[in-house]
Parts: sequence; C-alpha cells; structure tokens
Amino acid sequence: MPAGTLARTAVVTVLLLFTLLALPQLISLYYVDTMTQVGIYAIVALGLGVLVGRVGLVSLGQIAVLAVGAWVAARLLFATAQPYPVVLLEAGLFTMVAGTLIGLPALRLRGLYLALITLMLAGAFSIVLATTNFPNGGHGFLGYNGSLVRIPPIRRPDIASGDPAYFRYTVIVAALMFLLVLAHIRSRPGRAWAAIRQSESAALAAGINTTLYKLWALALASFITGVAGGLYAGAVHYIYSIDFPAQDSIILLAVVLMGGAYSLWGAVVAALLLELLPALLNNWGVPADWLTILFGLGVLQVLTTAPAGLADQVPRDLARLGRLLLGLLRRPASAGSEAQ
Amino acid sequence: MPSWQDFQPFIVTGLALGGVYALSGVGLVVLYRATGVVYLAFGAVGAMGALIAWSVTNAGGPGWSGWLACVLFAAGVTVGYGMLFGPALAKRDPLVKATATLGLLLVLFGTMDLLWTTSGGESRALSLPTDNSGFTVGQIQINWTQVIGLAAGVVITVLTALFLRHTRLGTAMRAMANDREITATLGVPVRRVEAAAWLGCGVLAGIAGLLLADMVALDATTLTFLVISSLAAALIARLRSIAFTFAAAIVIGLVQNMLVPISSLSNYSDMTPFVLAAAALLVLVRRRVMTSSREES
Repeated sequence: MPAGTLARTAVVTVLLLFTLLALPQLISLYYVDTMTQVGIYAIVALGLGVLVGRVGLVSLGQIAVLAVGAWVAARLLFATAQPYPVVLLEAGLFTMVAGTLIGLPALRLRGLYLALITLMLAGAFSIVLATTNFPNGGHGFLGYNGSLVRIPPIRRPDIASGDPAYFRYTVIVAALMFLLVLAHIRSRPGRAWAAIRQSESAALAAGINTTLYKLWALALASFITGVAGGLYAGAVHYIYSIDFPAQDSIILLAVVLMGGAYSLWGAVVAALLLELLPALLNNWGVPADWLTILFGLGVLQVLTTAPAGLADQVPRDLARLGRLLLGLLRRPASAGSEAQ
Repeated sequence: MPSWQDFQPFIVTGLALGGVYALSGVGLVVLYRATGVVYLAFGAVGAMGALIAWSVTNAGGPGWSGWLACVLFAAGVTVGYGMLFGPALAKRDPLVKATATLGLLLVLFGTMDLLWTTSGGESRALSLPTDNSGFTVGQIQINWTQVIGLAAGVVITVLTALFLRHTRLGTAMRAMANDREITATLGVPVRRVEAAAWLGCGVLAGIAGLLLADMVALDATTLTFLVISSLAAALIARLRSIAFTFAAAIVIGLVQNMLVPISSLSNYSDMTPFVLAAAALLVLVRRRVMTSSREES
C-alpha cells in the first residue's frame, strides 16, 4: 500500500474510532441527536454526490427518496418483528427498485430535463405523502390511523435503544455505505462514471454501456438514500410529512455543491452544514433563515468560482494563506538582506 | 361523481389560474430562449414582491404604490441577477445556469422567512380591489380578478408573440435563441438584449406574484413553489413555443381545479402540473425531440 493511502486510512480509522467511542461521551444529548442526523444526512449527501460529482446527473428529488425510505422502514417496523438491519436493507432495496424504474425512462433525458423531472416527481410525491401520512401504528396498507390517542414510537434495534447507542449504530451504517460507494468508485463502475462525466459520446465510443452505468449510479444512490431513510425512522421515532418540506431537496443540493460533490469528504461537510450548523445557531438563538441565505450565496459562489466545493477549496485556500503568511514572515529578512 | 353544477365555479377559478400560469410560463420561455436560463427563482421573486406590496399597503400606502413596489422589486432583482451572474455563466451548461437560480431562490426564501416570519401563526392576505366586484353568468359568480387573470394570460401571450415577430428587439431575441455567438458577430448588442429579456421576465414575475398572492395564498413557500406549475406548462411546450405554453397552462389550471370537487381526487389535485409535465417529458423523449441544436452545444 502506498504511504499516502496508508496515512489516509490511518486518519480515517482514528477519526471513526474517536466518533464512535469518545464523541458521545463528550457532547450533550442534544448534540448526540444532532450528530445522528448528521450521520443520516451524510449518507443522503453521499448519494447525491455520486450522482452530481461522479456521473453529472442532478437530482432535485433526493429528499423524496429519503422520505420514501423512511415510510417503507416505518411500515415494516410496525408490521413485522424483523431485525433492524433487514428492515434497512429492505427499505434500501425498495427505493433502489423504485429509483431505477423511474430512472429508466428519465435517463434518456438530457441533464437539465432530468433535473426538472426529478423536481416534478418529488413535488408529486410530497403531495401523496401529505395525504397518506406516515405510518403511526395503525392498520391497513398505509398503517396510518388519524384518531389514534397514544401513538407508539417507531422502534429501534435492541442493541441501540438509547440515543448514544443509536448514534454509534448510525455511524457504523454510514461508514458501511461510504465503503460501498468507495468500492464502486475504485472499480469498474467508477471508471465508467468518470468517462461518462468527461464526455458521454467518448465513453460510448470506448465501448462503455452508458445507460447501464448511469442507471447503476442511480440505483446505488437510491439504495443508500433508502437505507438512510430507515435510519431516520428509528432516530426520530415519529415521522410527519412536514418533516420533508419542498425546499429541502434544493437546500440539500446547495450544501452538496458547497461541500464538494467530487470527494467523499464533501458529503460529510455537507451533512455538517445541513444539520450541525442549524443546531448550533438554534442554541445561540440565531434564526436558521440566515443559513438558507448563506447556502443560496454559497451555491452562486461555488458555481461561478469554485466548482469543486469547500472540501476542495478550503484546504487550498488555507495552504495559500499559509504560503502568504510564510512569505510575510520571510520578507522583512530578505528585504533586510537586499538593503545590505 | 359531482354534477355539472358543482364543476362550474371551478372552471372559472381554473381558467383564471391557468391565465396566470400562462403569463408566468411565457416569461420563463422567453427568458430561456434568449439567455438559456431556466429561471427557477421566478416564484420566489414574485412572492417577495407580493410580501413587499402587503407591507406597503399595511403601512398605510395606497394600493397602487404596493403593486408598483412589487413589480419594481421583481424587475430589479431579476435584472440585477441577470447582469451580475448572466455573463459569468453564459458559456456554461443550461443545467448549471438553472442551478444557479436555485441559489437566488434560497437567498430570497431565507430573507422572506426572516423578515415576514410565520412562526406566530398569523396569516396575511393580499386582496385586490377587483375581488369584491364582478358579475354572474348563469349561476356562477365571477369577480374581476379572475377576469384579469385570464385576460393577462391572453394579452401577454399575444403581445409577446407580436413582439418577437415584429420588433427589432424581438428578432434579436429569436436570433439569440438560435445561436448566441453568431448573433453577436452580426452586431447585435447581446448583453443589452439579454437585459431586456431579464427585465420582461422580472416584470411578469411581479405581476404573477401579485395575482397568485390574491388567488392562492400570500405565503412564501406556496408562492415560491408555484413556479413549478408554470414551469410545467413551459416544459410541456418544450421551452419553445409560447402558444403551446399558453394552451398547456390553461389545461393545467383547468384540470387542477376541476379535480377539487371530486372527493376521491381532491387531495391530489395539486399533483396535476407535476404529473402532466413528467408525462409530457417522458412521452416527448420517446419521440426523441428533446435534442435541439442549442442543447447539444
């Protein structure tokens, strides 16, 4: 293994161990819940990052996919006694099949039209969800009973019923999803995606089945987003359709672009922007609307000047700042030597 | 199944709403043809304009000053955005241009939530003086705002068609829709033509915002995302023909409102624009008509 990769693996392992073992002890329960949401949305951002950064597809419907995953998981958790990982897998598979079926005709559309059709479908879906509601322990196919007096909470896995334990559970599942995506990027599909992003015609000429690999990316993104939906169901215990407002898919795209769609770190940055920042501001009594404005400006800034996002730009800017400071420190000395 | 009598009032509201969708859709199509930008912040600009109009009239200003403020604001923001970010993104993919307008949408959305907070549960309403007077046809009450909605749609569509066909500026816009570079080579002041397109679109956004705030609700989220309905009409017309946009907008408005009295579908009536647009896109792509010279480049 090259030294760079080794060092990077070591850093990631240490960070992961710190997050799993030390972090829940250090922060209050409020922030444990927030960090659980960060873990969940990191997976969602990762899914959108695969689409935007790897294949060049923009989806404005990822929050709808998350909501569907949460719906399916909640329904299964109420109806069956299946182990939690199985439910997560089923939720993921359901959104994967649904996403692929929708994607099959939509993938023939060019970039802009695909983005707009996902916006349309997400809008249609949010209206359906607002009417059917999320399962709350009722009976029937929809599992919703509006006149229920005591609504049972959506259950969590037995090994992770407490908040810190569920946080650890979320982090482990998120890490697995990141590994799954990494495995794809490092192998044949990743190379095919890179070729498609550069030029679809060139990829086609090189013998790459572009439709297959685009669909593959859509299936992968839908799958992990569905799994994230399953995690969401257990994390919040009660789900309402107003938890997934229309603007969230747009804000998600904004933070993914700001975080940087080309690197896996970007997904983590995006989730921190999306979930941790509002929680911090809430604690300080600052309205979260400032963030919406900031994200809007961030999109404009990223699209006009920094296509690779914060995860790429900040280290580069810091390095530049470091060089600048070093230069300033050296200058008096060199200026002195010139004078002599 | 409700009787014909039950449908009649919804035909009126449907036509009025369709008219406003049409005038928004025409604005979106003209801007897209001239600049290649799908202006997703159209609804947000109109919404903020309407909220400003509400504030102006609530502070005691006469009605017309509020409407003027709304249109001026929408036009100003739209032209400002176009001048600031249009040139920087001119050579980028249409997808990037559309995504950038989402940035503007978020900025306006956050600002509206901050300045006109809805947390207290207070509801605002913007009513035009034309709401209270009207006439009856048969047994249906029709107010003048509804007439204005449909009439505005018709007038804007016809005027835009004439403008594009018979004026210098309109010809220049059509030329830009075909090829920006060649148009520039021919000596057309590309930037100025683009500014005119942004201005027109902004004025329409302001008018649409006022009318929709009166007909639907004065609410930032609702108005911001109503742009999707107008966009649906524009998409059905493949972002090209304004006549088709008008027809599609009227159909969307009618279907959406006529589903309301059918109790089993009532809750789903707002899905109409999304479903129609998605279906239209999928059908059109089967016939492979989505690739015009502009999008290929």
